[in-house]
Amino acid sequence: MSNWNIWSVPVGIISLIIISPVLAIFYSALLGDTSLWPHLFSTVLPRYLLNTLILMIGVGSLSLFFGISTAWLVSRYEFPARSFFEWALLLPAAVPAYIIAYTYTDLLEYAGPVQGYLREFFNWQNSQDYWFPNIRSMEGAILVMSSVLYPYVYLLTRASFITLPISYFQTSAIYGRKPFFSVALPLARPAIIAGLALVLMETISDFGTVDYFAIETLTLGVFNVWLGMNSLSGAAQISSILFLIVVVLLTLELIARRNQRFYEKHSRQQTLELENVSNIKKILFFVICLAPLFLGFLIPISVLLNFVIKGYSIINFREIIDTTITSISISFVASLTIMFLSFLMVVVATYKSNTFQKSVIFLASCGYAFPGTILAVGIVVFVGWLNELFYFQISYFVGGFLVLIFAYTLRFLAIGNGSIRSGLTRINPNLIDASKTMGRSFLTTIKKIILPLTYTYILVGGILVFVDILKELPITLLLRPFNFETLATYVYQYASDEMLEESSFAALIIVLAGLGPVVFLSRTIKKYSLN
Amino acid sequence: MKNQFTRFIVFFILIFCFSESLYAKNEVNVYSYRQPILINPFFEEFTKKTGIKVNVLHAKKGLLERVIAEGANTPADLILTVDIARLNQFLKNDLLIEINSNVLSQNIPAHLKDSNNKWFALSKRARILAVSKERVPLNSIKNIEELAEPKWRGKICTRPGSHDYNRSLLASIIAANGVKKAEEWASNLVLNLARKPEGNDRAQVKAIHEGVCDVAVMNTYYFGKMKFNEKNPEQQEWAKSINLVFTNQENRGNHINVAGGGVLKYSKNKDNAITLLEFLTQPKAQELYSTMNFEYPVNSSVLLSEELNSWGEFKEDKLPIEQLAELAPTAQKIIDRVGW
Repeated sequence: MSNWNIWSVPVGIISLIIISPVLAIFYSALLGDTSLWPHLFSTVLPRYLLNTLILMIGVGSLSLFFGISTAWLVSRYEFPARSFFEWALLLPAAVPAYIIAYTYTDLLEYAGPVQGYLREFFNWQNSQDYWFPNIRSMEGAILVMSSVLYPYVYLLTRASFITLPISYFQTSAIYGRKPFFSVALPLARPAIIAGLALVLMETISDFGTVDYFAIETLTLGVFNVWLGMNSLSGAAQISSILFLIVVVLLTLELIARRNQRFYEKHSRQQTLELENVSNIKKILFFVICLAPLFLGFLIPISVLLNFVIKGYSIINFREIIDTTITSISISFVASLTIMFLSFLMVVVATYKSNTFQKSVIFLASCGYAFPGTILAVGIVVFVGWLNELFYFQISYFVGGFLVLIFAYTLRFLAIGNGSIRSGLTRINPNLIDASKTMGRSFLTTIKKIILPLTYTYILVGGILVFVDILKELPITLLLRPFNFETLATYVYQYASDEMLEESSFAALIIVLAGLGPVVFLSRTIKKYSLN
Repeated sequence: MKNQFTRFIVFFILIFCFSESLYAKNEVNVYSYRQPILINPFFEEFTKKTGIKVNVLHAKKGLLERVIAEGANTPADLILTVDIARLNQFLKNDLLIEINSNVLSQNIPAHLKDSNNKWFALSKRARILAVSKERVPLNSIKNIEELAEPKWRGKICTRPGSHDYNRSLLASIIAANGVKKAEEWASNLVLNLARKPEGNDRAQVKAIHEGVCDVAVMNTYYFGKMKFNEKNPEQQEWAKSINLVFTNQENRGNHINVAGGGVLKYSKNKDNAITLLEFLTQPKAQELYSTMNFEYPVNSSVLLSEELNSWGEFKEDKLPIEQLAELAPTAQKIIDRVGW
């Protein structure tokens, strides 16, 4: 079956359009001269690469630990504040990594309250009198990045735990196996890996935190080559290495997962009931769940609130309300677009495509692995020729708006795809075949079977995307039309000058705007699991 | 539900189309590397005076690439940068037009503009040394070269070398002393650092205040911004703990860099753009640069603000600043090699 059909061809074309800016980056990488490489190899590149790997391993491990442990506890055990943690553990997702870097530095640096209190308490005179861990370090970066990135793992893993059929647990109980290691963990693997992949891509492409903490990663190297040596092609070449690292990672996972099934054989699913545990365990579980929430949400929010109170008089409410409306509208429209495309692409890739088409669709979601600004430059190059159409035939503002939606799609498609893909792995292929046998069209199959069964995953992905776009900075900064501010750009223009009082209220709004969807999402997941 | 959704979308589209009609015809579009909060007061003044509306897009990276990609279709008229190297890239990519304006040539001295009148500096800043009042006796350091001396081992703080400002400083040292000496200087400087380069210029002064180091490299305007920081009075304390040292006063003068601008080749509102550029060099705007941003005016007819005066007169390095841009890539390579 060659699979060049009415579904796969248009979706393939859409994927190609989406991936064009990435191709533009590659083109620029191949075109450019490579004379810089001997210099880079002999000086900074090994260091950048090593730091990048350490950061990835660190953030990956800690995020997995936070995400899986909490997801398991809230799905499996009854303990105090469990239903609060269910949704609250998602809150750190709404805190942008660059904000958390600022807030932690403010808190833990020499002049911050923590060290100030310690000095007073122990009567130390200056920094030579004692040792205190420097937050602007690799360990600091791993800690702060993990504490806002783990929700990707938590969310997807939890969605998976909730829908696990009880029959597997019963079987494992009969054989005396531990339910977590023998059932939950292996079966949640696609979801865990999807979450981990998002965490790693976010880590690789982060600029704000590593720049603020002065961690020399490949991304920082990209900017030094681009702006310091005026070599966009050199920067594109390093970016392409980053990209390859990600592609290798994702491919390894695909290969490893190839011959495994994760769906339930019976259509009637009964899911796990909560287990009662001893009081000591209850306290322990409470603490385990509180820790990441504390690190990723309560601390940064308290610091922000403190700034808001200090700088209350200088908050420009009018400006912030306008900016909030803009931000929410564009995030909403873009996340709808992205989830629609994601669903279409993943469904068609899974059921209607050959290997080549699958690869094209897969590649379309790799924009997530590039540093935002580099991706933005790729998009700028790609839409350059569209300007006539966009800016002068339609209108400058609408044109700029469309370009932004397109850019967000390229950037965040991976989140939508990852989430939907892990949903699809749970659908028994027999269902699809049965529908086919009954002569139903593919469209009907989508409507009657795939859509209802992946509903939770679509929501999960949509909300992650929404919150991510609210936070998105480098792409919005470069591609927006004139006089256009989102909450993130608003925060940035002050925060980059260390004017935190002015920016903290807008930063707080970013978090609050993400709060509503997060609570809604958690309710939906719960409702779904009860049905 | 579906209907509601359609209405929602239509509503948005209407808003965007409507907002488009709000754009005045008489306008000028600016791509700016400088934050809106720092330049908007200038534009408000300009609009009040001329009736020309100014639209701004601010980004710190990638505006050059955006202008190149947009080509003839670019909506941008004027580019404003905070660093000469960036400005020079626009020149190199042939994106700027030559402007023959009496106002500009009167207001801006020759070494602060392009020899073909394609770009113009609008304000200056000197990159100086901030030294601890307590721990560094007066006159114990006079030249930037001395930062490499062993007596400063473990006593110096800087932001990362690959920041524009440090790169440009190193470029000026390459121009003065040659590549080899400059690299020696940089690698000895790295040996002298009290801590891994991190944070911005202000953070280095803060480190002096905290006793982490004794000498830091800083742009002049940060001193004013810290000294008069009402919102964050703690910074006033940082400023109190340092003396300013203008370097190389007995030889080539202190390294300076500029913020500047130029009119884009494919500008649709060239006259307005030139008018704005001229406005920015006039005494009124030039005074704003010095009173609001603590930058040095380029227009020599403008008297320095009281504060700038209090920092003392200084001799500036008269190296044509184009050369800083030329040498920036060489400087970055040195920075990579010595790990600054």
